[in-house]
Amino acid sequence: MKITIDRKPCDCEKGEYLLTVAERNGIHIPTLCHHAALGEQGCCRVCIVEVEENGRKRIVTSCVYPVSRECSVETDSEKVREQRGIILELLRKRAPDSPEIAALCEAYHAPKLDRLRALDSGKCILCGLCVQACGRLGSGAINTMLRGTEKLVGTPYNEASPDCVGCASCAEVCPTGHIVVTETADARTIWGKTFELVKCARCGAVLDTPEALAHAAKRAGQDVPVLCETCRRLKMTDEMAQTFGLSI
Amino acid sequence: MHTPEEIQAVIDRYPCSQQYALAAMQDMQRQFGYLPREGLEALSKHLTCPFSQLYSMATFYKAFSLKPKGKHVIKLCDGTACHIRGGSVLLEGVERELGIRPGETTPDGLFTLQLVNCLGSCAIAPVILIDGTFYGRMTLEKLPGVLDSYREEAAAE
Amino acid sequence: MKQTILVCCDTGCLANGARAVADALEREVSAAGADCQVQRTVKKTGCHGFCEEGPLVRIQPDDIAYYHVKETDAPDIVRGLIQGAPVQRLLYKDKTGASHPPRAAHPFYNKQKKIALRNVGEIDPHSLEDYLARGGYEALKKALSMTPDEILTEMETSGLRGRGGAGFPTGRKWRSAAGYDVFPKYVVCNGDEGDPGAFMDRSILEGDPHSVLEGMAICALAIGAKEGYLYIRDEYDMAVHAVGNAIRQAEEAGFLGENMLGSGKPFKLRVVRGGGAFVCGESTALMASVEGRVGEPRAKYIRSVQRGLWDHPTVLNNVETWANVPVIITGGGAAFAKLGTKSSAGTKVFSLVGKVKNTGLVEVPMGCTLRELIFDIGGGVANGRPFKAVQTGGPSGGCIPESMLDLSVDFDTLTKYGAMMGSGGMIVMDDTSCMVEVARYYVNFLSEESCGKCTPCREGLRQMLHLLTDICEGRGQEGDVELLERLGHTLQDSSLCALGKSAPNPVLTTIRYFRDEYDAHIREHRCPAGVCRKLTSFRIDAGKCVGCSACVRACPTGAIAGALKQPHEIDQSKCIVCGSCRTACKFGAVTVAGGTKQ
Repeated sequence: MKITIDRKPCDCEKGEYLLTVAERNGIHIPTLCHHAALGEQGCCRVCIVEVEENGRKRIVTSCVYPVSRECSVETDSEKVREQRGIILELLRKRAPDSPEIAALCEAYHAPKLDRLRALDSGKCILCGLCVQACGRLGSGAINTMLRGTEKLVGTPYNEASPDCVGCASCAEVCPTGHIVVTETADARTIWGKTFELVKCARCGAVLDTPEALAHAAKRAGQDVPVLCETCRRLKMTDEMAQTFGLSI
Repeated sequence: MHTPEEIQAVIDRYPCSQQYALAAMQDMQRQFGYLPREGLEALSKHLTCPFSQLYSMATFYKAFSLKPKGKHVIKLCDGTACHIRGGSVLLEGVERELGIRPGETTPDGLFTLQLVNCLGSCAIAPVILIDGTFYGRMTLEKLPGVLDSYREEAAAE
Repeated sequence: MKQTILVCCDTGCLANGARAVADALEREVSAAGADCQVQRTVKKTGCHGFCEEGPLVRIQPDDIAYYHVKETDAPDIVRGLIQGAPVQRLLYKDKTGASHPPRAAHPFYNKQKKIALRNVGEIDPHSLEDYLARGGYEALKKALSMTPDEILTEMETSGLRGRGGAGFPTGRKWRSAAGYDVFPKYVVCNGDEGDPGAFMDRSILEGDPHSVLEGMAICALAIGAKEGYLYIRDEYDMAVHAVGNAIRQAEEAGFLGENMLGSGKPFKLRVVRGGGAFVCGESTALMASVEGRVGEPRAKYIRSVQRGLWDHPTVLNNVETWANVPVIITGGGAAFAKLGTKSSAGTKVFSLVGKVKNTGLVEVPMGCTLRELIFDIGGGVANGRPFKAVQTGGPSGGCIPESMLDLSVDFDTLTKYGAMMGSGGMIVMDDTSCMVEVARYYVNFLSEESCGKCTPCREGLRQMLHLLTDICEGRGQEGDVELLERLGHTLQDSSLCALGKSAPNPVLTTIRYFRDEYDAHIREHRCPAGVCRKLTSFRIDAGKCVGCSACVRACPTGAIAGALKQPHEIDQSKCIVCGSCRTACKFGAVTVAGGTKQ
């Protein structure tokens, strides 16, 4: 079916999310809590757009809004600009130390509302991506706790979690770098827990923590790897060469 | 206090399905007066769900407490009807009498004070609920007498 | 001949000693001995409605209503039964002093029409026999002989709209769910009544639980569900027990369970106890909670009738909505549609509370005006003070001023004026309520109850609370009101769920209708209602003070001094500005001025 986004006609399937359709047609909509691999959240509300359907206009989050009928979408109407600006400014007060949020505020002309109160410090915008990543890729060691204005992300009892495998997937997906990972040649510390780092048996490159390797292997039903990706491929080609009597 | 057997007995009432997480936690809260860490750990094993998820629920829902509560739980209603019939003045009176704020327990472990949202008894506002007993049309004047009855009962034991 | 003594044992009356009254009446009835002509029973029932005048006792079949009954009245009541003469001192007396036994004689009752509350206060809620004697489960029997389409058509014809606040057409909701060929399907009762000031659902769950179960079973037949859940908030202990008990009884009697009345169709119900979260009154958050997760809502672009509980078609309705269903099936949708107004059929239960004379639970046909509810049924503002506003719809609703009192109470009229009827909480406020403080109170409530998932609600409410607290404590600035409006409009459009979207309503309606109060706080450092402590001081008008010392007795800090019959004076240095003196004074001698302390 056909819809229009910012007056541009776009082809799409019924049920597709507006964000996907927009991206495919080169129309950029800012997001924070959206990650292609991590399921639908729709909580940061930065990706809002104004949709007109059946003669009615309303604000929806494009990341989880399914196209169900012909409609026209505006990604930068007056209302969207005003409300997205306020949402970004609210996030800047929540995460005053985040340059990423400050940059978004600049880019989208967020109003500077000095009358609002900023937290003393911090970068967390409570987008929930870390919790999603930990749940899907890690061991479910972190989650949100409390609710409302006191909501935060962390480990139970704010202690080092026995479940954390130190994979740092959470830090990888965090849009503001709030999650601190300190790494030396031999150790990684995250969420108050320090892990050894396993090195590639062949070239010495860092693989991951032993716990993370074991966890991933168990999930995939495979053996725990001892080589890095590159060395594993090299080993495979060596073996193939030997099998077929080729020389490389 | 609670033993591993007591904890397991509560958990074993429920099938190993996520939908019973809330009910199992409710039972533990009711029986032990709070959610013991070992209880949540055992439940996490029983349901095969991440411990952090249960901890998240434990801190999200107001029914739960991670710390043991006092002998008598005083719930002061902060619903609208109670609020406009003097609820905040009453709260200050209770805070003065007990020397604690909502969420806290008196040093002697006798009272825990909680500010709760609407107990549904709006017609007799303002309302205080102590354990299972409702005290309607509460006033600052009546307050010391009510609290003393619990203190005397504890002293007599 | 049967004489039944109905004793209200709902929470309000219980707190006022109703249990002792019931026990005393039972003792007197058995002491009176068995009478071969008359069967006398005492029944502990649910809410009779007139909470202000409790403990309440009613005698049937003569329809004699007794008010403010004490344990010591029991012998006289039973003697009155035997002799056929009502106890005069316990009856309703009109302005001329004439007493009237029938309940309907009281202005509190005579404009009401009980449909959802038809059995509440008339039956022992723990007795299945009582429910059956009043036509209980006849609707289910009839529904079992109807096709799903016939049931759906009846529901659509009735015009019943959801009573939980949103007012979505119930028949349409059921029809949608019936249309999906996905199984299993679920039927859910939203018993998470979280609006402060509302106890309509509690009264039905405690006073007539079978009516809800029957309604849910009928829906199950219409949509093809075999399983249902009643989500009841944790604080409603008695309701949880009453419903659990009713389910057991209904299963034992064969109305529910593996095989509804031998039809071969199963329907099993389970009670899920809430965890203490207002947000779980939102349907998707409720379902998340039932699934064993935190009560966080999800975007509703795909409706729950399509993907609800465990992503399956689910019909979720409010307690009061369910209680109406059996009536529609028995009497027909067309008859139901005759009640109320064209777009809001039927009746609505309200909890009339706050600064009103006759506090209690009432049920009126839709279309009744606010004035009729508050002044005719409610008896007007308590203590003769002037009416200021009525708050309807709880934290999602708005504050309605006097100029709007003649508006009809239904789903659509109040919405046009920025307010909403809501789930039925109706809180009356007088001149001693500060509308800015009321807005702050609701924003504080919502900021604690917000699940915290989405930015506008979590951050917006945090900021709105700071602003409103500043205004109430004398730190308000020019431009704050405009900023509150700006934030409010963003929350209304961009929040994830109805909690966030409706959260600004109390703020925006008070700004719209009581702007002068905001201005007085900000520009004059004065709280006109005399509530915000830092912006208030109390003084005694020597011209009006008669020196009765009622204020001295009421004052918690001993700040008032004065000889008997001489004008009294308040020591401002000791005064904590609590307002107890103003409440105690019967002569209007305590006056309100702006803040003096910095």
